[in-house]
Amino acid sequence: MSAHLSDQTMTDVLESGGSPIEWAHVASCAACRSRLEEARAGRELASKAEVPEPPGLYWEALRRNVSRRIAEEPPRRSRWAWLAPLAAVTAVVVVIAVSLVGRPPAPSESALLLPAWSALPPVEDDDGLAMVGGLADGELANWDEGRGLGAFVAGLSDEESEALVAALRVERPEGEL
Amino acid sequence: MDTTPSSVLTADGAPAEASAAPDAERQVIEACQRGEREAFDQLVVRYQRDIYRLCYRYLNNHEDANDVTQEVFLKAWRGIGRFRGKSAFSTWLYRIGVNACLNFRAARRPVAHELPEMLADPGMGAAQRVEKAQRAAQVREAVSRLPEKQRATLILKIYHELTHREVAQVLGSTVGTVKANLFHALGNLRKLVAADEGVKP
Repeated sequence: MSAHLSDQTMTDVLESGGSPIEWAHVASCAACRSRLEEARAGRELASKAEVPEPPGLYWEALRRNVSRRIAEEPPRRSRWAWLAPLAAVTAVVVVIAVSLVGRPPAPSESALLLPAWSALPPVEDDDGLAMVGGLADGELANWDEGRGLGAFVAGLSDEESEALVAALRVERPEGEL
Repeated sequence: MDTTPSSVLTADGAPAEASAAPDAERQVIEACQRGEREAFDQLVVRYQRDIYRLCYRYLNNHEDANDVTQEVFLKAWRGIGRFRGKSAFSTWLYRIGVNACLNFRAARRPVAHELPEMLADPGMGAAQRVEKAQRAAQVREAVSRLPEKQRATLILKIYHELTHREVAQVLGSTVGTVKANLFHALGNLRKLVAADEGVKP
């Protein structure tokens, strides 16, 4: 090994001796040996730099001071506190979205037709209502030649009533609701 | 020399027992994260010596070290909710401590007082022995004049016995850089002290 040892390698040599190859280099290289000795001397100096020990009561005073200052701190917010506004907005959005999805679709023209199972036809298609309306308006006042409608209906036999109902029904094309 | 890693010491300097185990400490930290001040008190007791000594080595006097130590614990309390346990708590706390010391020094002391990255050989006289306390103060003062990264590396590695990897975590560096900085720091410390003594290193 001809190149000088790197600073990293020199630290390894200083701390743990390094590899035999590195030691051989240090033994044969005056520059690296000098650097190593200087670092050793620096480490020896550093070991002499004790920190003066404070008085015995200092540590308790330090602890109390820290405790007092922490007690004076404003209450700490939860680490998730910043999410609260976001969560509130998200909740509102979700509620709105659910209400929109769950609501029946807006009425369309075809939806105005009653379903097949309905017992009542649409008002405009109900011929029976048209007839009753005519009676109310007097347009059909004489259709029974002077007899009242009530008397006419009351006088019908069961068969005649059924025949009247059948006659009032309007046949619709297949598939029409 | 306070070379005993006091992360395993109790407040009175005695070796810690089960209470210093990682699991126990994790529970204390979780309690702190729930806002329990009494739990944080345990962490203060456990680490106050480490942080004080770290600050003292940076600031070189008791008053400043005391002030910054308290600031370090206040910052730790405010930020403990963000501690995720990816490193040791002591490493996280050291990082806060180093940053607090650097900020304090930056506010109090011009950077121009620092040594350039590589100290020139002053080429002066022979070494003399000094009294132990004087020598300690002299070396501490010399350490305080090392470039920031060298000083931080030397303090954490030599005086707090962190591993190279832990030092790298504290300083946001790499193991290789830590080793190189340590080597430079030791060499420069030797040169600084020698220059102060007016001797040729």
